[in-house]
Amino acid sequence: MIEYLNLFWKYLPMLLNGLKLTLLIALLGISIAIILGIFLCVLSISKNKILEKIASTYITIVRGIPLMILALFLYFGVIKNSMSTNSAAIIILAINASAYMAEIFRAGVQAIDIGQTEAARSLGLSYFQTMRKVIFPQAVKIMIPSLMNQSISSLKDTAILSAITVNELTLTSKVIIARNYRAFELYSYAAIIYLIVIIFLTYLSKRVESKLNYTQR
Amino acid sequence: MEKIIECEHVSKVFGDLVVLKDISFSVEKGETVCLIGPSGSGKSTMLRCLNKLEEIQKGEIKVNGLDVKSVKNVNTYRSNIGMVFQHFNLFPNYTVIENMTLAPRTLKKLSKKEAIKKAEELLERVGLSDKRDVYPATLSGGQKQRVAIARALEMNPSILLFDEPTSALDPEMVGEVLDVMKSLAKEGMTMVVVTHEMGFARDVANRILFMDDGYIVEEAPPLEMFQNPKTDRCKKFLSNFI
Ligand SMILES: Nc1ncnc2c1ncn2[C@@H]1O[C@H](COP(=O)(O)OP(=O)(O)O)[C@@H](O)[C@H]1O
Ligand SMILES: [Mg+2]
Repeated sequence: MIEYLNLFWKYLPMLLNGLKLTLLIALLGISIAIILGIFLCVLSISKNKILEKIASTYITIVRGIPLMILALFLYFGVIKNSMSTNSAAIIILAINASAYMAEIFRAGVQAIDIGQTEAARSLGLSYFQTMRKVIFPQAVKIMIPSLMNQSISSLKDTAILSAITVNELTLTSKVIIARNYRAFELYSYAAIIYLIVIIFLTYLSKRVESKLNYTQR
Repeated sequence: MEKIIECEHVSKVFGDLVVLKDISFSVEKGETVCLIGPSGSGKSTMLRCLNKLEEIQKGEIKVNGLDVKSVKNVNTYRSNIGMVFQHFNLFPNYTVIENMTLAPRTLKKLSKKEAIKKAEELLERVGLSDKRDVYPATLSGGQKQRVAIARALEMNPSILLFDEPTSALDPEMVGEVLDVMKSLAKEGMTMVVVTHEMGFARDVANRILFMDDGYIVEEAPPLEMFQNPKTDRCKKFLSNFI
């Protein structure tokens, strides 16, 4: 037990360095995914059949491919040496998460009563003004739990990016294990660190949710 | 008198379903016209064609002398026609005053100060000054509908369309909404009202249009329509309300 703890303290700084990269990639990847997701959502609810088809095809493809394959294919097959590993990781994570984000946004927007759109349009607001001022603010409230879930899921997905040599928490643990063969210890340290971060984020998202719960209807 | 709405041979289809069949009628400035008829006869669709929430396939609709097919900016066009819905459709994420000032401010029709001043006056008129800063969730149905009417008036429309404004209300709240509508009619607002409130139609309407199965079957001033309806269909429909 003492040895387990000693080893933990010894490797903690290295693991925290890995965690830093994990969080950075997750934060940037998820942010880009949200922007991409809103864009895809706008396409998929547009009345234009072609735009709708483009969005739905993208979503089907991305959701149908395991992240590991998507990462290996894009990194070793397409991106190669044209950018840094970390940038590639952010883009891959963003592409993967954007498909799920788009579906969350679409469900959120479609959950809002059509009467809201009709009232706003009959007052003279344009389609985009209606979306921005009436529909989206209401939809976001409904979507927060799913958005938080997807973000946490994407954060955990960064572990898969160790396969393309991103020096995040999982790869850091692997590298240490390759030197000292302490798989039980190192992987359990990594698991505990992931767990603490995610419990903290879940707590945070619950706080945000309850803050946003103003009286409605 | 000046005609504000003129519909000629209007027809509207949804897929294979012909919902409006050769509809012609007109509304003069300051008139209150009630549209009655059984459910599914096309009353809501008719109203929605007037503010271009629906497009018509045949015929012509002129509003303020302008053919709606030639409208360039549909948003400006709509902002001049108020619409009040059965289910109020207040924006739950905004307070009462914000609900009212959102459109004029977004469309830069009024400054913030002007919009608020006007909204406060309108709230006073519908008797809801004390609800200025609450969210719609805290209002009763009758209060919600009065705010919805005030919100429509805030845009200074030349026409107000009502689609069964009291059908979703508890009976004890119907009166307060009808009273507001009555006072608007008295002041000369041009209104087209889809309603099942025959008392209101009798007391307030200048004319009543009876719609059935996509046609305007009968058109007459209230007394004439209620006392001797010409068609069996109208007779039968009206007998439900006695
Ligand atoms: N968006 C739509 N798509 C297809 N059918 C519709 C649509 N809106 C209304 N209808 C149909 O048109 C008919 C008339 O509807 P409506 O105008 O709502 O009648 P009312 O208001 O008199 O009850 C109904 O049969 C209804 O099902
Ligand atoms: Mg209707």
